[in-house]
Amino acid sequence: MRKLKALFHPIFIFIGVQVAWIVLMAVWIDWYLKNSRKFQEFAQKIRPDLFADELNWLILLEGCLLMLIILAGVYIIFVYWNKQARLNRLQSNFVSSVSHELKSPLASIQLYLETMKYQKVSKEDAADFVEIMLTDTERLDSLINNILESSKYDPKKMQLQFQPVNLGVFLREVVEGLKRQFEERNCKVKLEIQEDYVLSLDRRSMQMVFNNLIGNALRYSPIGSPLTIRMQKKKKFCEIDFIDQGMGLGKKNRKKIFKKFYRVTNQESNNIEGAGLGLFISKEIVRTHKGQMRVFSEGPGKGSVFTVALPMGKNSNRKIAANGGGE
Amino acid sequence: MVQAKKILVVEDEPHLAKGLKFNLEHEGYEVVVAGNGEAALEFMNGQTFDLMILDLMLPKMGGIEVAKKIRETDTRFPILMLSAKSTDEDRATGLESGADDYLAKPFHLPELLLRVKGILRRWDWYKQPIHGQEIFHFGEMWINFATGKAKGCSGEFLLTAKEALVMKLLISKKGQVVAREDLLETVWGYDRQTETRTVDNFIARLRKHFEKKPQKPRFIVTVREKGYQFDPDS
Repeated sequence: MRKLKALFHPIFIFIGVQVAWIVLMAVWIDWYLKNSRKFQEFAQKIRPDLFADELNWLILLEGCLLMLIILAGVYIIFVYWNKQARLNRLQSNFVSSVSHELKSPLASIQLYLETMKYQKVSKEDAADFVEIMLTDTERLDSLINNILESSKYDPKKMQLQFQPVNLGVFLREVVEGLKRQFEERNCKVKLEIQEDYVLSLDRRSMQMVFNNLIGNALRYSPIGSPLTIRMQKKKKFCEIDFIDQGMGLGKKNRKKIFKKFYRVTNQESNNIEGAGLGLFISKEIVRTHKGQMRVFSEGPGKGSVFTVALPMGKNSNRKIAANGGGE
Repeated sequence: MVQAKKILVVEDEPHLAKGLKFNLEHEGYEVVVAGNGEAALEFMNGQTFDLMILDLMLPKMGGIEVAKKIRETDTRFPILMLSAKSTDEDRATGLESGADDYLAKPFHLPELLLRVKGILRRWDWYKQPIHGQEIFHFGEMWINFATGKAKGCSGEFLLTAKEALVMKLLISKKGQVVAREDLLETVWGYDRQTETRTVDNFIARLRKHFEKKPQKPRFIVTVREKGYQFDPDS
């Protein structure tokens, strides 16, 4: 049954249509050649003036044009069909991974609530359970934000409120907010911030970018693997590198991971949660900040570096000493 | 004092694993947590457990694979599968891979605890020898309930956990009629999604193993409107 389905893959249908059309042409040419003499004799008797020696260029040109148009039509149909098939596939992948993503934290919250309802729980345990549930609600919140944000990736529709933000302080806040996640994955975070810069940013969306990148680094690295976050000035940009020692990326995947719904599929990443939205949204957000997002990896298993480069505007390169803190 | 039942929880979500451990320990079970499939198999090699609660989505080696690996060497070790996938197809894949029971996330705590209890009770009942012996002979055939091995019409083969349970119940009540509902209750436990038709399908499978003419059964006889009866001496 699966083999039969594979036959309906757009590429096979495209090849099939081409083959069918060439075969039809061949049959027709064969038939024509076999009977042409008879036609000629027949025509000679009725209208000998038809056999002019010169070639009718106009008709030949028309024929060629018609053939080109048919070919182009088939090609366009093929391209769009392929696109549609890809989108359908991605969408069904998305639905299944999102439902998993939503259900996991939900299952955890439900379990702890029911534990508190049905079991005798000490005060310390109850406090711990509440903390766990709060982390789960945060996870749900960030996923729902990702989904909502991805549907309005048109920069005009994104309502960003730019305000001067001290990037170093902001990064430290984000890292502090994810403390529990770092502890759970036994991950040591190293923040390398040489100088603080004040940039004009939308706090909420930029926090989403950092959360996404840090979340990815944690999920795609083994437990206990460290993470380095480095901020430095390069020409007119302030670059923030997220350096992990996780699974790394092959050349093919490096290009594709920023696409909507795209997820790396291999044995190692097989069961890692994710909806294929985080990087797509992050790139869009960075783009609306007129910045760039890049990824570098030496290859699978060799870790990866995600870089967010944000432009230092005219008013924004006010430097504050690293230890000065505060905005 | 009765020794506590030992449960292996295979779950990569630390929050869920912690919650499961807390609750199961509260119920008096001994709990070991494994964060991924490989660790689970390693634990299984080194220790003996009474039950495994297995998550389907695990890093590297998935739950289905783990269940299949275990079934290669042990056809009857009880496995309760947990998964965020809740469609009928997902359920069927889980059960086919060798799970005894399947629970979709998010689940209700009392239901989980009931199912755990149910599986352990069935397993306990299964481990008791029937009629004082572990190998039961009938005709030219036999079933070894300790190993799950059996000899049918066409040679030796391995019974699945559920097949063995059905045979065990029929044989332990040989000569009496066993109602479909009783079979459901004992072998499948409380489960809204299992229908009495499932029992009929299992009986058909068992007849293929043990009856020379499955259409005209000699040992596993249908008693109209009542259930099934096992007759070793017919």
